[in-house]
Amino acid sequence: MNHLNTLEREAIHIFREVAWQFTKPVILFSGGKDSTVLVHLARKAFYPIGMPFSLLHIDTGHNFPEALSFRDKLVKQFNLKLTINSVQEAITAGTVVDVGGKIPSRNVLQSHTLMKAILTNGFDACIGGGRRDEEKARAKERIFSIRDKNGGWQPYNQRPELWNIYNGMIHEGENVRVFPISNWSELDVWQYVLREDIELPSLYYAHERQCIRYNGKLLAVSEYINIDDTDKIITANVRYRTVGDMTCTAAIESTAKTNEGVIEEIINATVSERGQTRLDDNISDAGMEDRKMKGYF
Amino acid sequence: MDILRFITAGNIDDGKSTLIGRLLFDTGNLKQDVSDSIVNIETNNANLAFITDGLRSEREQGITIDVAYKYFYTSERKYIIIDAPGHLQYTKNLVTGASGADAMIILIDACNGVTEQTRRHALIASFLSIRNIVVAINKMDAVNYEETVFNTIKKNFQNTADSLLLDSVIYVPISALIGDNVFVNSDKIAWYSGDTIMHYLNKFQPPLMPDNIFRFPVQIVSFSNGMYICLGTVVSGIVSVGDVVEISPEKGKAKVINITIGFFDSETAKAGDFACLYLSTINPVEVGDVISHAIDLPICSHEIEAKICWLEETPLNTEMDYYLQINSKDTLCRISIIKHKINPESFHEEDNKTQVSINEFAKVTITTNDMMSFDPFSLIPSTGRAILINTETFYTCAAVIIE
Repeated sequence: MNHLNTLEREAIHIFREVAWQFTKPVILFSGGKDSTVLVHLARKAFYPIGMPFSLLHIDTGHNFPEALSFRDKLVKQFNLKLTINSVQEAITAGTVVDVGGKIPSRNVLQSHTLMKAILTNGFDACIGGGRRDEEKARAKERIFSIRDKNGGWQPYNQRPELWNIYNGMIHEGENVRVFPISNWSELDVWQYVLREDIELPSLYYAHERQCIRYNGKLLAVSEYINIDDTDKIITANVRYRTVGDMTCTAAIESTAKTNEGVIEEIINATVSERGQTRLDDNISDAGMEDRKMKGYF
Repeated sequence: MDILRFITAGNIDDGKSTLIGRLLFDTGNLKQDVSDSIVNIETNNANLAFITDGLRSEREQGITIDVAYKYFYTSERKYIIIDAPGHLQYTKNLVTGASGADAMIILIDACNGVTEQTRRHALIASFLSIRNIVVAINKMDAVNYEETVFNTIKKNFQNTADSLLLDSVIYVPISALIGDNVFVNSDKIAWYSGDTIMHYLNKFQPPLMPDNIFRFPVQIVSFSNGMYICLGTVVSGIVSVGDVVEISPEKGKAKVINITIGFFDSETAKAGDFACLYLSTINPVEVGDVISHAIDLPICSHEIEAKICWLEETPLNTEMDYYLQINSKDTLCRISIIKHKINPESFHEEDNKTQVSINEFAKVTITTNDMMSFDPFSLIPSTGRAILINTETFYTCAAVIIE
């Protein structure tokens, strides 16, 4: 799997560039497969010195319990440092307002908490698992993406980015979002997970779950969504292709219980990763672009 | 399975985004929901260009402003498509995209022929030493698939290619809209005996890293147990445990005590390996140093002869300081001499020593504060390229190819 070597080499080079160019870099960690692969790559990149990054979790309060327990286990296993910033705290303090409704998404609210975490902790580079094949606005973003004082992306004035030379120079108050696995596809991630034997949360493999059908998508029954009489609760064999909030991530019907099974399923899928599982991208034609301009990851 | 990265360059309306849409569509790499999102519900026509134009303004204006990356697979390899804008004013974005490309598809509208922009694309390919070039002469359906139209454009472009020393350029007559000669051979172009775009892409080889001269630019250093533990990637050649190596610039010798790649020990590290070298030396190793063998050292100097492409709105100023970043090291520098500019039309070197503006190419001498270690780009690409950074805006203001 020569292509995995190339992608791995590219990502490890990026991690090491971040380490010498920034004073306080952090890995944005959600417990999902992409950020888990980031942690693996970072461990590999800095062996035997140890990775010079801590992890930052923007906790929306709507997490899958499996993702949280996985997060805590990983942190303990590899002796990592974890900072948690909570969206619920911002809501309680009244800085941001929960949208409410049947499916109360906190996706947009994350940006505020992320910026607060960046300012309070002085993080100058946030390393994320965003991939260009996920979404059309992400397909346009540089590997080192400069964000202004409000965390905003300026898609029409991005710096040139040449070869694998990354320019991380920033002014006071600015920060950089770094995407080491920009050029990986969903399939590449899974092939890498298989090759490197990386453990992922159980959510990614087929299991039985109580769900409702919402706009044609399978949404897990949880305390965070408001179920009424019109909803029919069904028990389905499902897995998750992406893991975000319980309120904005849909499950897919699946029998894939192993990495090999998942890979086969992805090769045969007729619907894209986010198209199938995200309730938040399809809000408008430029949903992701708008969120990124307002500080979203 | 390997990876090939190719860039598509074309003028506005040459059908560049349509070609990409066609490649994704015909290779079966477009998922149902993505195809649905680009179909106009009223007319039921798919706008293939919408697949790559990811920003709102791009879709509104129907143009590509910045680089977009798309991916597809064939049974042989993974492809990374670098979709770059054609506009002169966005040349900096085209250079960004092209710097990472193993191959370039230059699109020419059969109705318009070779234009100023086409010549500019060829110049960029030459500047960055992109060796695999396909000229796709598009919209053949609009000129009744006439062979003479194809031959005239081919002859014109070949003149450009000859003056830039671009060899083995491949010419393919296509219609991206209809799909002629993109993924399947067209029966409407019987006079054409060559192959499809996809065929040539499958045949191209990504450039190999040089394997003769050892280079290891140091990205991270840690000192422990009397050894310098150096992280980096071998960009050329090979190193073995026990080798005596040289630390540049001019820092003396070291012995390789151990090597790890990933989590495991290794006897050697070769080009392409991200490695960790454990060096025993009395000389402190720093980030940005280059490790080599003593028999073929990199150039260590304060003076760098280079070709540059200027990328910032503010023109080059020989009175101003810039940062020069090579590998993992930056230093203050001046562009002390503008030797000549390259005329974008004739490609001649002009003795014009006035300012170098955005999108212009020039040959210069750069004088650095710190002594730098580097190689000619033609010898070892990774250690032969650099960027210039504006010290106030921090904008990346030039691409630098070391001569």
